[in-house]
Amino acid sequence: MLRDTTSKVVLFGGIAIILLGAIMPNWIVNQLMFGFSRALAILGLLVLWRTGLVSFGHAFYFGLGAYTVAIVDIQLGVTDVFVRLFGGAIIAGIAGFIIGFIMRNYRDIFFAMLNTAISMVLYGIIVKTESLGSTDGFAISLPTIFGIAPETKYPLFIIITMIAMISALLINFYLKTTVGRLTTPIRDNEIRVEYLGFSVAHAIHLKYTISAVLAGGAGALMAMSLGQVDPDSMINWTVSGELVFITILSGPGNVIAPFIGSLVFEVLRTYAFELAPQAWQLIVGATFLTVIFFLPGGIWSLIAKLGRKKS
Amino acid sequence: MLIVDALDVDINGTPILRDIGLEIKTGEIIGLIGRNGAGKTTFLRSVMGLLPINSGKIDFDDHALHSLPGHRRAHLRIGYMPEDRRLVPEMTAEENILLPVWSTNIDGYEDRLNWIYKIIPECEKFRTMAANSLSGGQQKLVALGRALMVGHKLLLLDEPTEGIAPVLAQRMGEILASLKKEGVSIIIAESNDAHVANVIDRTYVIERGSIVSN
Repeated sequence: MLRDTTSKVVLFGGIAIILLGAIMPNWIVNQLMFGFSRALAILGLLVLWRTGLVSFGHAFYFGLGAYTVAIVDIQLGVTDVFVRLFGGAIIAGIAGFIIGFIMRNYRDIFFAMLNTAISMVLYGIIVKTESLGSTDGFAISLPTIFGIAPETKYPLFIIITMIAMISALLINFYLKTTVGRLTTPIRDNEIRVEYLGFSVAHAIHLKYTISAVLAGGAGALMAMSLGQVDPDSMINWTVSGELVFITILSGPGNVIAPFIGSLVFEVLRTYAFELAPQAWQLIVGATFLTVIFFLPGGIWSLIAKLGRKKS
Repeated sequence: MLIVDALDVDINGTPILRDIGLEIKTGEIIGLIGRNGAGKTTFLRSVMGLLPINSGKIDFDDHALHSLPGHRRAHLRIGYMPEDRRLVPEMTAEENILLPVWSTNIDGYEDRLNWIYKIIPECEKFRTMAANSLSGGQQKLVALGRALMVGHKLLLLDEPTEGIAPVLAQRMGEILASLKKEGVSIIIAESNDAHVANVIDRTYVIERGSIVSN
């Protein structure tokens, strides 16, 4: 499972980042936490994208994960980082599994927009419900780790990086298994997969559930990193759009791509905002167009090209 | 073993197959001969569950195929070779042949693979080559190998000798003749029976979606 180059890079790269985190300034640690949290959701979208499916509504699962953290914190007083994280991922996973029965029958624009519709239903419910925080959302208490309340954000950073590493390794492994390797054949020709004895509906259902679990985990980690949840930055359709944006920016080539893409996005957004607080979207949009025109395979295609030249 | 009765199939509202009746016994090789557009591919796809049928019955041994989802065919040991091969380009020839093994968990697939290599030695020759580096004819042989991997009981071959070099077409005829000795039931759809006439036990002629003679 850990023999290929990608796994080694994930493993050693992750450990190096954890160690470097101890001496890096706070703002970089924060950027990495946001980037890696969001990257988990991108990893799920990558699995779907390889099958030719794009969801414009995964903020539904992202938000579900984030709001699970808020609700278990406020209603039940749960502060443990792992209970919150797995709670968010499991709730999103169950929702994804149930909704997957519908989604697995749709493709293309119908798949994309049906997901948007479902996410906007949740958005609407939360915005209109006072007890769910309405448009203001909730502040979340600092997470504890096995009962210990850390004084800095560094321990949370270590956990986020480790979860990111484990998820990348598992997805890398999954993409090499039989069902995983069928992602591209399904995209190219569904009928072929059927007469070879695989059920396309089952394969897509599994991928959809995996992407929901990852997006839920991402939302939970993001909520804990930010210390707050609100519908506009967690569930609104713009969040789904952002996730798709980063997926295209990253490229589907490798499980490491989402992590690089997410970090590039965090940095890009931070600097764009600093440079033009009123028109930062203009800079992000221009970057998006540049990537689509010149790097249709995303940032990863650039890295893959460099790698090929070296060898 | 396979009995098709009063099969009607529409595609987007246009009737393509009308009242098709066909029967194949164990170990029999039948030809489904008809011009382009007669409905041969539609018929094979309907049996494979890749197209919804309007009415009629497709029974295979004790199973009502018409009420089973498409992917169950491979589990019932029915192999299908589509006209346009449809190999997974980035996988090797051998991986392509083994694809249905992963889905159906066939016991003792190694023996089956060696048997396929014995009948189609060409497949063994390019087992490690990527499917997209093979010629059209070579890909057809690999597609046949893949269909044989699950097709223990029944094989549906869509124009196996069409569009490939005459030498390979003749080779395909020889391979089918050797399969005849193995007792697999086969339906061969062809526009003419030039290369397969000597292996076919019976012929159904299909014209404009109906069987006109057998």
